[in-house]
Amino acid sequence: MALDLLNLLFFPAGLGLIGAGLLYQWADRKLLARFQNRLGPRWFQPFADALKLLGKEEIHPAGSSPVLFAFLPVLALSGALTAALYVPLFGLAPVFSFPGDLIVTLYLMSLLTLCIGLAGAQTRDRFSLAGALRVFTQMFAYEAPFILALLTPAVALRLAGQPGSWQISELATAAAGRPWFLLLLPITFVVALVGLMGKLELPPFDAPEAETEIVAGALTEYSGRGLALFSLARAVELVVGLTLVTALYLGGVGSGPLAAVLFTAKTVGLLLVIVVLQTLLARLRIDQTVNLWWRIGSVLVLAQWLLLILYQVLR
Amino acid sequence: MRIGLLRDLSRSAFRRPVTERYPFEKRPAPPNYRGKLHWTAEGCTGCNLCVKDCPAEAIDFFILDKANKQFIFRYHIDRCTFCGQCAFNCRFNCITLANEEWELACGDRDAFIVTYGRPEDIARLDLATESAAIPESAG
Amino acid sequence: MNASASDRFVIPIGPQHPALKEPGHFEFTVEGETVIDATVRLGYAHRGIEKGAEGRNWTQSLYLLERICGICSHIHSTAYVVGVEQMAEVEVPARAQAIRETIAELERIHSHMLWLGVAAHDAGFDSLFMYTWRDRETVMDLLEAISGNRVHYSANSLGGVKFDLSDETAAAILKGIDFLEERTRHYREVVSQDAFFLQRTRGVGTMTRQEALQLGVVGPTARASGVARDVRIDSPYIAYNEFPAHIQLLSAGDLEARFLVRIDEMLDCYRLIRELLARMPAGELAAKRMPRKLKPGEVISRVEAPRGELFYYIRSTGGEQPDRVKVRTPTLCNMGSVLTQTIGHNLADVPMILVGIDPCFSCNDRAVSVRRAGRAEGQPWSWADLRRYGIDFYRRQMGLETHALAKG
Repeated sequence: MALDLLNLLFFPAGLGLIGAGLLYQWADRKLLARFQNRLGPRWFQPFADALKLLGKEEIHPAGSSPVLFAFLPVLALSGALTAALYVPLFGLAPVFSFPGDLIVTLYLMSLLTLCIGLAGAQTRDRFSLAGALRVFTQMFAYEAPFILALLTPAVALRLAGQPGSWQISELATAAAGRPWFLLLLPITFVVALVGLMGKLELPPFDAPEAETEIVAGALTEYSGRGLALFSLARAVELVVGLTLVTALYLGGVGSGPLAAVLFTAKTVGLLLVIVVLQTLLARLRIDQTVNLWWRIGSVLVLAQWLLLILYQVLR
Repeated sequence: MRIGLLRDLSRSAFRRPVTERYPFEKRPAPPNYRGKLHWTAEGCTGCNLCVKDCPAEAIDFFILDKANKQFIFRYHIDRCTFCGQCAFNCRFNCITLANEEWELACGDRDAFIVTYGRPEDIARLDLATESAAIPESAG
Repeated sequence: MNASASDRFVIPIGPQHPALKEPGHFEFTVEGETVIDATVRLGYAHRGIEKGAEGRNWTQSLYLLERICGICSHIHSTAYVVGVEQMAEVEVPARAQAIRETIAELERIHSHMLWLGVAAHDAGFDSLFMYTWRDRETVMDLLEAISGNRVHYSANSLGGVKFDLSDETAAAILKGIDFLEERTRHYREVVSQDAFFLQRTRGVGTMTRQEALQLGVVGPTARASGVARDVRIDSPYIAYNEFPAHIQLLSAGDLEARFLVRIDEMLDCYRLIRELLARMPAGELAAKRMPRKLKPGEVISRVEAPRGELFYYIRSTGGEQPDRVKVRTPTLCNMGSVLTQTIGHNLADVPMILVGIDPCFSCNDRAVSVRRAGRAEGQPWSWADLRRYGIDFYRRQMGLETHALAKG
């Protein structure tokens, strides 16, 4: 019981996760800077930013509901932290696990996006409204292919004759004993990776928070504590997303400390790929994003599923 | 689908960043750099061309005794735009702009007024301006 | 994606907005994501420079006018000295004119490179922004080595230039230009071939040649739509007779064309600078004698700033100070095109279209003319009226008596 509490509050979930999220954010910014031939921030920069924001005055805009305004950041962070309980953080066993927790995790990850969109929609600021509209539009665009891409390994395992399961820990262990799903399901891996960038609103999918068009998008009116909680939620989501994709596609979770270290290294490697894509590509307009996902994303996922079914039928 | 910056990116990943880590690394300023003004009394005739053409009225020139060439050149660093017109105008090369003195930030207002001249003249000036006895020829 | 008609609202861009580097106020009425109307209000960076020039002598005004803008400082001061020298009938030596042209072309390179980075940043392409600004440091360092300052080079004096180009400096310039030319060719490839960037620029903000002529746009914005106007070629000044520029013309008229025209202008600048340094005329740096009081007269001088045609009107009444200096900058001509081009486009394209004209708000702020009630519509105040109004305003504030206001 005490161990459970420790796991929940400090490591690997809770404060340890928040700290790890901020470190991953630092790695993202530092790598981005190095690719752009500049120096980049020192390791404690995201921590300093979060602390500074927590200490700043919060201004409540007129016309927005004070309850929602204060509550939505808390909900976003709790959603992200709860989603982290079911994924194998840093290669260790998930804190809690039950059958069907893959679906629950995916929904909890969407909770963050929903909160950001709602936060923008309930103020009267034009930039927030435009940003909220874009957040929801983008969510409708990438959500379906992204979720399907993350469900594909489970489906593939079932088709291959393994006992069916929607439980992340079981899927991860099963994936560990087979060749990487990256090689077996390459198309949906690409969709999952790019979908992760869409969920995290990283360039080229950062139209919802396009700084040069709509200031800060849905979060324009937030400052101080609310903004700090949202950015911490984003940091946590980064880790959770990377962990989930790694667990399903990059060889799952083995046993023993060496496997845990290897797993963490794989998540960092995935982060590196994401940073390269971030640096290379210019921002897409929101209608171009929607086009991309509805035309190409869904088709790719369906193609992969067809291939899977064909493979099973032919066997 | 062509991606333009791929080559740049891969090269930068292995190169040192171009950022100059000031103040730990300081590049020397080029010899022509226009920094803080310096005035020498040698050669000065008190023609006041530097004062007349200064766009920022940064020079106050005091003529204590024109025949004996007793002048005081007071320079306001905070008004100066470092354009170099005064140095260009001076026919006797009394004014130069230093190239190494460009870190001119200071927390104390008084440091921004620099008075060039002989010490005894400056002492006379301080006494006299209190009694407004010496005409000031500002632009 | 398309919302109902009740979904229209006004999005203000400016005076404080991450898309604008300087203050200006745009109001775009959008329906969903499509812009249906646009208005602009300028004047946030007005500093009274034209008025200030009247209180300073001819040399002091040179430095004041140079500081209208930081990116195109040299061309402002060139326009002024060309006009003043014409009024004073002073002959400037050939070497001085050639040095002026060299610095003007280096400034054009610096300005276009800055713009390329800013435009990339507005498109969300931060990497291109960082790379172009890194390479811009080369030309800034060159200008610092030549003139002593990275911006506000203060190269011109009335009658010539203030410093010479030594052989070492010329060699350094050539080396820097070789590096920049290779990088510029690379950026030309990136801008014309990068798939994601093209999605933001090809076919966006298209302005036909007819529209460009009607709206009166100038500079690279016009040349991208096929309007062959370049003051360096139409009415050459300083040394452009001996060292002419080549016009860079495209006809597509969209954002991509504006990018390519400016990059091609940079490549032409490299060619021109090499030619200038190879055949630099020997001689004096300044005219022997420049009068301190100019005889009465008025003059117009037009030059090609990096953003288009820059126009100066200078009047003298025989004194040591100018009587009137009027500055009309190219951004003022191009601003109207932003309002017409954004209609029908997405909100996301608006910052790109705005940055496509290369706006320089601090250049283009002029005093707004106030219409007094009772006067016939369309008659702005005369200069004398405006002066009297300003003086009375402050006299009233200080509690002094004012002049009787003249006929209404």
